[in-house]
Amino acid sequence: MAASKIQALWNHPAGPKTIHFWAPTFKWGISIANVADFSKPPEKISYPQQVAVTCTGLIWSRYSTVITPKNWNLFSVNVVMAGTGIYQLARKTRHDHFSEVQVPGKE
Amino acid sequence: MAAFKAFWNSPVGPKTTHFWGPIANWGFVAAGLVDTQKPPEMISRNMTAAMCVYSGLFMRFAWMVQPRNYLLLVCHASNESVQLYQLSRWANAQGYLEKKEPEGQH
Repeated sequence: MAASKIQALWNHPAGPKTIHFWAPTFKWGISIANVADFSKPPEKISYPQQVAVTCTGLIWSRYSTVITPKNWNLFSVNVVMAGTGIYQLARKTRHDHFSEVQVPGKE
Repeated sequence: MAAFKAFWNSPVGPKTTHFWGPIANWGFVAAGLVDTQKPPEMISRNMTAAMCVYSGLFMRFAWMVQPRNYLLLVCHASNESVQLYQLSRWANAQGYLEKKEPEGQH
């Protein structure tokens, strides 16, 4: 019984024998890279890049439910990716605009 | 006019998400291009390397997905180029691309 379930997954049109599996699986690398970068100082965060990560994540969450085959792996990775982008943007924005304490004479 | 109408009503045209998904991904290309003008110390090795693998895989994905998505393909080909360039800038700043420098770093 378990074997046939595994077989079904293995042979799925978005399964591990196809690019529909590996491309989204690798996309987790972007979220992982971003999470690793959570510990980097906010000065090093790039606004354009994180805006791109966030917007891409949001739009692709939608895209992945309307392509053929429907791709939940792609959906979940994009939801998480948007989340990491939003967090990075929040970190940098907070640093740039809400922690002026160490900058004398700047208002 | 006919060509525009064909585009407008295309199954991968601007009335569909098959269009806007790839448009969103051009954001990576734009961000990458903007970042080429910034100092290489700001480049994230993790993110740039991840982008290089990601765009390589997604060029193939764009080709195989139904409907086939040329806009996505071109987008990822461009991103691959930009990210590889950024990676080379990072490597150069780290000293990995030095030639014949026996007493350099490393």
